[in-house]
Amino acid sequence: MEKTKYPDSNIPAELSEEVIRQDSMRPTQKWGLSTKIWLAFLFSVAGWGLFAYIHQLRGGLGVTAMRNYVSWGLYISTFVFFIGISHSGTLVSAILRITKQDWRMPITRIAELMTFVSLCFGGIMPIIDLGHPERIGNLVIFGRVQSPLMWDVMSIITYFVGSTVFLWLPMIPDMALMRDRLTDTTKRFDKFRKWLYTKLAIGWTGSKTQWKKLELVMTIMTIVIIPVAVSVHTVVSYIFAMTLRPGWNSTIFGPYFVAGALYSGSAIVILAMVIFRKLYHLEKYITYRHFDLMGRVVLALTLIYAYLNLNEYWIPGYKMATAEGHLLHDLFSGSYSFEFWLCQFGTVLLPIIIMCFPKGRTPGSLAFVCTLIAIGAWVKRYLIVVPTLLHPFLPIQDVPSSWSQYFPNWVEWSVVMAALSGMLIIVTLYAKFFPMMSMWEVVHGAKVEESKRVAAEMVKHEEVETHNPEIAKATV
Amino acid sequence: MKTLKINLDMSSYSRVIIACATLFIMVSFAQAQKSESSIQLSFSKKTDNSRIVSALVMAKNKAGKFLPAQNAHVNFYIKKDKEQVLITKTNTNGAGKTSANLPKELAMDDDRYFTVTVKVENDEILEDAEEELHLKDIHVTLNLNPTDTSRTATAVVTETASDGTEKPIKDIAINFYVQRLFGVMPAAEEHSVSTNEKGEASFVYPKGIPGDTLGKITAVAMIEDNDTYGTVEAKNECAWGKPLLLDKDPFPRALWGAHAKWPMIILLCCLYGGVWFCYFFMFYQLRKIKKEGESELLIKN
Repeated sequence: MEKTKYPDSNIPAELSEEVIRQDSMRPTQKWGLSTKIWLAFLFSVAGWGLFAYIHQLRGGLGVTAMRNYVSWGLYISTFVFFIGISHSGTLVSAILRITKQDWRMPITRIAELMTFVSLCFGGIMPIIDLGHPERIGNLVIFGRVQSPLMWDVMSIITYFVGSTVFLWLPMIPDMALMRDRLTDTTKRFDKFRKWLYTKLAIGWTGSKTQWKKLELVMTIMTIVIIPVAVSVHTVVSYIFAMTLRPGWNSTIFGPYFVAGALYSGSAIVILAMVIFRKLYHLEKYITYRHFDLMGRVVLALTLIYAYLNLNEYWIPGYKMATAEGHLLHDLFSGSYSFEFWLCQFGTVLLPIIIMCFPKGRTPGSLAFVCTLIAIGAWVKRYLIVVPTLLHPFLPIQDVPSSWSQYFPNWVEWSVVMAALSGMLIIVTLYAKFFPMMSMWEVVHGAKVEESKRVAAEMVKHEEVETHNPEIAKATV
Repeated sequence: MKTLKINLDMSSYSRVIIACATLFIMVSFAQAQKSESSIQLSFSKKTDNSRIVSALVMAKNKAGKFLPAQNAHVNFYIKKDKEQVLITKTNTNGAGKTSANLPKELAMDDDRYFTVTVKVENDEILEDAEEELHLKDIHVTLNLNPTDTSRTATAVVTETASDGTEKPIKDIAINFYVQRLFGVMPAAEEHSVSTNEKGEASFVYPKGIPGDTLGKITAVAMIEDNDTYGTVEAKNECAWGKPLLLDKDPFPRALWGAHAKWPMIILLCCLYGGVWFCYFFMFYQLRKIKKEGESELLIKN
């Protein structure tokens, strides 16, 4: 019963300020063996990926499976996927903040962190895709304002700066608290932590004027970050849609990418919520109610995404124009049909069906559904990038067989897995240095809940007093 | 003259023998590892009378298949007074190809034949191989009359006789082309004409061939892969083509192009400028927070 009927409160009102702070800071106070083993594993994967990348730098892009036709393979698909999941912070944090959804408080930091790490590694994927990474400077030297690639670089840099600050701003009061609480700095590591917290707290004392200014900049950032985030994925879609290639020459690519990004990004946030709730024992804060509400958000986004997906394939599929027809045939019943239909049914339709039911919005069910969505979103990016490149307007002929087909080889997989490991390393290190919940916001949320409870009791008491004054007297 | 005396005992002898044997085995092994190679040659004479010999070197792999040999040492020789004179030393490129320009004053026999020998020599991987070209030197000229409304091009093929006079050559197939950016395009479906007794071959260029802005086209007459003469070509320019009309703004309503349109620049500047202005305002506020905190801490202390 408890699993399907959730409490109305966003944060349990009975939790004291100190309990919330202790619960938030506890994971930062010790590094267990499992953390060290986990980090060692991630670093070894990242090291292997670095070796593969050095191999690619030495041998050129010829050591990958990419050739003349498929020059954007797994790297660019991963870039689009990572940029997509970076929308999680915008959705959960900024949109819910601006709409004053108080239930967001315990999960905003997780969402903002996901945005930051996915942008860090999403941003470097196109550089990895360059045979000569040093040529990225040419974009600045010879940049053309009318090129979508230029817009993309500008948008990603702007979004990266914005989302880094957006992650940091709500951390400032927490950093000040951690700075003040960390009194024993005899160990070198603690000295470093103290220094880090002091720097990040930027002299925060919690005065009224400081709060006023912080609230002002947070409001500005909340408003600014939403259009910036939307512009980023819209511009990423423009890289494809501004060409005349079959499959990419679409007018709905902007909203289609943004919807896909929000859908996959919020799924990643739920996955992170499930993991951190379990690992850091945050069950009191991230409750079934949060999962239910986030499940509803993901359900709504999946429905929007499904609608746009239908438009994206139904209209060209109805016309089956020559070049587009070859591509669609390959997707619907050709060499990519298994992946295509798996994406449509397994990662769009099935999640919708599951999340329609309340039991489908429990942590366990959502973890399963969101894993499906995350994998599906990655495969979908691959299906957007690769099949189109294999269907140019001029037919592929008189070329080596390796040019007319593509499947990533060990170099590409290693580099992409290293990027994924890099993301997880940052997340793990972040969680070991900083609280995964915005402490002051959760404390504030608990106070709001408490005042709501008191107000409700007062109303109830007044009603009783009006109808039964004797019982009211006895209660007092 | 000093004599060098070396006193060798038995163990030293055995060491020398072992070293020589090792060296012999290594050399033999290296020789045995070398791949069989082959050379294919082609010759072309250009309008400016430059003569180029191109070589394609192929090497046999373990499966017995001949593949282009990269970085093979190739030497080009010309026969002069029954002796081979080295012209140049080259290495093949990634496609197994290399070429050499023959000297302008080419040594020829009495019948105006010249001989070029191309050798794969002293290569670490490939066995030695050689191939010879024995061709006759001829001249092709292409005459175009700009005022000729029928656009008739006449190619004349001659050879220099022993007395120094030019002698026409008949019954040689000449192909007529138009020069394009990356190669030549046949001027018509039937673009091959044989020379007559005067050594002349005439060809009418079709109307409407796209030319440059003045309508100029480059006509090409070519004897191709002839067993006796190789490939010999002649080029000439004439305003027989259709003048190219350069459209300065081919896509007037499109936003893309060689130069960004002003509305686009203004829009992008406003959008990104607006966002970055907010960022800078935010940083300014954060700086104020920092300063305030620092002064408060100072007061406390």
